[in-house]
Amino acid sequence: MKQMKLFLGPQHPGMHGNASVHLYVDGDIIKKSFLLPGMLHRGFEKGMERHSWINNISLIPRVCVVEPDINEMAFVMGVEKLLGLEVPERAHWIRMIILELARLSIHLMAYGGLGGPTGNYTLMYHAHADRNSILDIFEQITGHRVYHQYIVAGGVRKDLPKGIEKDIHAFLDSLEARYEEYRDLGIENPSIVARITDTIMLPEAVVWELGVTGIGMRSAVGKAYDIRKVMPYARYDQVEFEVPTSTYSDARSRIDIKLKELVQSIGIIRQCLAKMPEGPVRVPMGRGQSMRWTVPKGYVYSPVESSRGEFGYYIVSNGGTNPWRVGVRGASYPQGLLGVEKYLPGTRLDDAALWIDTMGVCSPEIDR
Amino acid sequence: MKSTKFTEPRKLSKEEVDRKWWEIGDFFRRNSLWMLMYCTGCCAIELPPAMTAAYDMERLGMGPMATPRQADILLISGYLSVKSLRRVIYTYEQMSEPKYVVGLGSCPINGGIYHDSHAVINQLDQYIPVDTYVAGCMPNTESVMNGFVDLMEQIRNKTAKGWIKYQENNEWYKKNQKAALGEVIIHDEFHE
Amino acid sequence: MMNSMSNVEFLKELMNRNFKVIETDVIDKYQVSFVLKQADILQALVTLRNAGWIQMSYLSAIDWPDESKIEMIYIFMNWERPVHVQIRSKIDRKDPVMPSIINIYPGAKYYERECHEFFGVKFPGNPDYEKQLILEMWDDIPPLRKDFDPQAYSDRKFTKREYKEDYLVLSDQNSKKEKREVRKERAESLKGGQKV
Repeated sequence: MKQMKLFLGPQHPGMHGNASVHLYVDGDIIKKSFLLPGMLHRGFEKGMERHSWINNISLIPRVCVVEPDINEMAFVMGVEKLLGLEVPERAHWIRMIILELARLSIHLMAYGGLGGPTGNYTLMYHAHADRNSILDIFEQITGHRVYHQYIVAGGVRKDLPKGIEKDIHAFLDSLEARYEEYRDLGIENPSIVARITDTIMLPEAVVWELGVTGIGMRSAVGKAYDIRKVMPYARYDQVEFEVPTSTYSDARSRIDIKLKELVQSIGIIRQCLAKMPEGPVRVPMGRGQSMRWTVPKGYVYSPVESSRGEFGYYIVSNGGTNPWRVGVRGASYPQGLLGVEKYLPGTRLDDAALWIDTMGVCSPEIDR
Repeated sequence: MKSTKFTEPRKLSKEEVDRKWWEIGDFFRRNSLWMLMYCTGCCAIELPPAMTAAYDMERLGMGPMATPRQADILLISGYLSVKSLRRVIYTYEQMSEPKYVVGLGSCPINGGIYHDSHAVINQLDQYIPVDTYVAGCMPNTESVMNGFVDLMEQIRNKTAKGWIKYQENNEWYKKNQKAALGEVIIHDEFHE
Repeated sequence: MMNSMSNVEFLKELMNRNFKVIETDVIDKYQVSFVLKQADILQALVTLRNAGWIQMSYLSAIDWPDESKIEMIYIFMNWERPVHVQIRSKIDRKDPVMPSIINIYPGAKYYERECHEFFGVKFPGNPDYEKQLILEMWDDIPPLRKDFDPQAYSDRKFTKREYKEDYLVLSDQNSKKEKREVRKERAESLKGGQKV
């Protein structure tokens, strides 16, 4: 039978972000495919060279819209390594709370995004309603719902407002009470289980061939390869949490690991709120006017564990007021590009959007 | 009281009859607008709270729609890169009339924070006609809903005439598109 | 990880034993970078891969127009001995050619394609490194080079919105200097902490 050319185009109800996949289809099975990135390309790496070090906090969160805090954290950690700056103790704990809240919000959104390709919109409604409460908490802490611009080199911009612990605890309690309901709607739902069990496999050899990190790696290799455990930053070595793993990686086990990580994040936030000391939250990055702060020469790569894998910023400084080169390593670059070319063929056409969802492909960080 | 037994009722002209049907159509149109599901840029992250239970767009009558042939509103959420603009123009011309365009965020107005980028267009008005803008970076979900209510007011006052402008000034729009994009419909879409 | 030497020491000893390292830079106990000559790169990557650094993290380039060089960087990670290794080397800027590494690390295929698009570096050995990936119908020099000005390109191709500038004209408003002086005299003439 002749092969047909199809677009799983940019405008599609089940597609994540604005990227299209070009497919050659024979009947129902995909024979050849490749991703077309570039529709969200804004020229960030060039734009960051034209702004000063402190001015870049307005551009940095806009790289990935669903989880903007990891961008700020990675950039700021790199700048602090070059400067040799010590951040006050309370700032570390506040940063951990913000990062774990961001991880909760994106896991909820990704789990709800399972409802798009499978037609289970109730799950999406529940997940987004809970995610909206997290955005309201962010608005109280940082002033903006989505782009916080809160973590800067030297600490965080302002202290937490009074009474925020009560709100956070109330939200975490309500999320824990609904955990069983989330499991029933999504992963234990018989109509979805048939589509995600024993499909979309990720064997271990593929993980090392492509360079996949994050949940994909942990679900195939079976070891706790998480940057928060292996190269801890920001006091992650003083809280107790587990990293869920598995050795058989189909779509269902990856989604299962995501839900378990949600529970672990709730535990981390509770421990942070209990263990946080008092004190100042910010140290200035230099002396004099902030637009003229400079950073000594150096080349540094600072990785952060995002919800999709190892997310890193590569910062090169020339000793001037602007960065010389900033490179962004998107966490889903390997599986989005080479994975779609080599491992998407062979699946059915209606599973293509589900493949992209469960492998964790996020298009803004591929395009930058 | 005048009886109608001996006087003929006034005959309405064709334009007046058309206008009355159009007004009835506008009433139904503005109370049940369907939005195309196309998240083109970063402001689209404020749409799921608007569509789902948190702010509930459906009480205004709006709902999501999968194909452009049956949708009323094309929502440009945020910036548009050059590659994306080609596909948006293709989608806009596929929609059936009357159709409305809403621009979210500051980026369709004047380029926003990416005004000096080599891949982002600066003013959306030059390429497709826009009816309503919602400013902000990024606008709150309540502002987005406010923008939709403004669009409904515009339809009621008969000032949402973007699609008529596109028909009448087609050469001007096409000239601008060609100057910025080069080729609008790509011949070698699969890049081989 | 009960070794007699730390992971960074292990790496330094491995690289210095086999290659002539131009420069070493230890950033902290989880990151180290080596500068090598261009001819040594492929052999160094094979050595690193056999020593356990099997995950490729990043591949890109940096533009130094003053020295007329482009610097290629490669970053790798080993999860058993957690250290990020940066390998850097400078190549010529007028005609940058770098052999492709997809036989050692298959995941580098798309990184090299993007590097060609943004810097102009050629990668013989990579089958389709010349196809455009992120940009479409690009008609100018590679964008991430330092002699490309994005503001000029944007002003030339995409028209900007024009705003009326009448709010900047102040010469046809009344001067507020007299009112300021009257207020100042009044404030200085008040005695005894009395505010009006």
